[in-house]
Amino acid sequence: MGLENLKTILKNKEKTFEIKSPIIAASGTYGYNDEFQDFIDSNYFGAISTKGITLEKRLGNEGDRIFEVQNGMINRIGLENVGIETFIKEKLPILKSKNIDFLLNIAGSTIEDYEKLAEIAQKYNIKALEVNVSCPNVKSGCLEFGLNPDSLFKLISKIRENYNNFLIVKLSPNTNNIKLLAKATENGGADCISAINTLRGLGIKIQFDGQKFIKKSVKGGLSGPCIKPIALYMIEEIRNSTNLPIIAMGGITKLSDLFEFILAGADAFQIGTANFIKPSICTDLAIELSDFIEKNNFKNFEELKNKIKETK
Amino acid sequence: MNTKANFKGEIIYIEKIAKDTCKMDISSPLKQANAGQFISIYCPNTTLRRPFSIANFENHIITILFKLKGEGTKYLSNLKKGDYIDFLAPLGNGFTIENKKSLLVGAGIGIAPMIFLKNTLNKKNIENYLITGFKSNEENIKGSDETIIGGSVLYHLDKIIKNKNIEIIYSCGPMPVLKGITELSKKYNIPSQIAMEKVMACSIGVCRGCIIKLMKNGKVINASVCKDGPVFKGSDIIWD
Repeated sequence: MGLENLKTILKNKEKTFEIKSPIIAASGTYGYNDEFQDFIDSNYFGAISTKGITLEKRLGNEGDRIFEVQNGMINRIGLENVGIETFIKEKLPILKSKNIDFLLNIAGSTIEDYEKLAEIAQKYNIKALEVNVSCPNVKSGCLEFGLNPDSLFKLISKIRENYNNFLIVKLSPNTNNIKLLAKATENGGADCISAINTLRGLGIKIQFDGQKFIKKSVKGGLSGPCIKPIALYMIEEIRNSTNLPIIAMGGITKLSDLFEFILAGADAFQIGTANFIKPSICTDLAIELSDFIEKNNFKNFEELKNKIKETK
Repeated sequence: MNTKANFKGEIIYIEKIAKDTCKMDISSPLKQANAGQFISIYCPNTTLRRPFSIANFENHIITILFKLKGEGTKYLSNLKKGDYIDFLAPLGNGFTIENKKSLLVGAGIGIAPMIFLKNTLNKKNIENYLITGFKSNEENIKGSDETIIGGSVLYHLDKIIKNKNIEIIYSCGPMPVLKGITELSKKYNIPSQIAMEKVMACSIGVCRGCIIKLMKNGKVINASVCKDGPVFKGSDIIWD
């Protein structure tokens, strides 16, 4: 099952990642697929990116974790996850039995953490790895690797030594020079870039109860439609600095968003926050994209992409 | 049979029933729902869906009660009979009904799941007593056996527990009330079931945004209010 004209091949030299559609559910917004099965048919998805997995199980952050803002939300989940061992034992067989393509999203605090995770991914011959070097919600590691081109290069090189399949690096927008990070990622040996992760944000709600002010605040990662212009800018910057395939994300909710991201340089897409509002969004967008291609007599997604990129 | 899905439902009744409070009946193909479960409504003017306790379910008709608080409920309050809404349902785990003399405690809009629970218990001929508390008479939502206006419902519970030989407490409302209920249930050594509330993003257990801490077999674990709850055993909850 699926939509033939959406077949997408992400390719870097001899390394490829073939997916049945360019629409991927973003990490942390789709769990490990099991939670969504009541609501939708994931047959039309290209893939899902798993919840960020660490070596050990993590309970995540204390206190409020979600804060809604206009056209977006702030989260500070703090990488709560089952840990790699449980993932391999309990979640991997489900994904395999359902024939769902996935990117294993990994995060760590030290280079050694990432090396071990990459080694395990290789051992189980996981087809694609998405390295999270940009989680703004954990105190140590992670983001620090992602913001310094030298340490990012070193980290990616080490992961590459341990992992031979398709290596994707998820970049942070919380930088003043994403081009240098993209270049470091490519030089480190990655096959693909996904971007952008959430932006640092602070949500404050303050109310007067008649006697005193009461406040609630959450500091974390901002996502949703409000970050789209920043994401588009970042994707264009990345495109101008590397030829690696790009999986773009940041506020995608509709078909025209996909076209905009293609023009900026995207080869595939991830849908994040929108999954929370509309569980069927990935399926809906895949069907809509496929219909558009068919109705307008494009051969397939690849041809549509090239046509959009020719737009002056 | 698992009937969880994304539904379109028609509003067949919407009225203001108390100060800043509305009641809405929604007709949809939903086949089953239990007291304590909730629905998550898409509101076009907000980023995230809004969760609402089911206040009754009969013949495919869901009743919800809501208090005008922000943008989401503003959208809902402007809808009319005949309008359609998009919602996910039935979500979460409801109350586990026990054949015991039951005390139901609802504070404020927390009365919503208590009304559904009371109806369920009545159908099963389980003896029950619903007490609710509201800040003012204008906010009073009818349907209780006893209503406290102003002051906490907590001060009125000792007497009821003793006089009516209560064997289990069910509750929904603001955190201080719920915490008080778990303390009372410990004091009288009777079980309690608590419907929790927390800001949610996905409402189906994916994002891990609405986490509370539970003590299970001597271990602290995370539980999501939307999927593992919203109803928890009072004795399991670790309060902030």
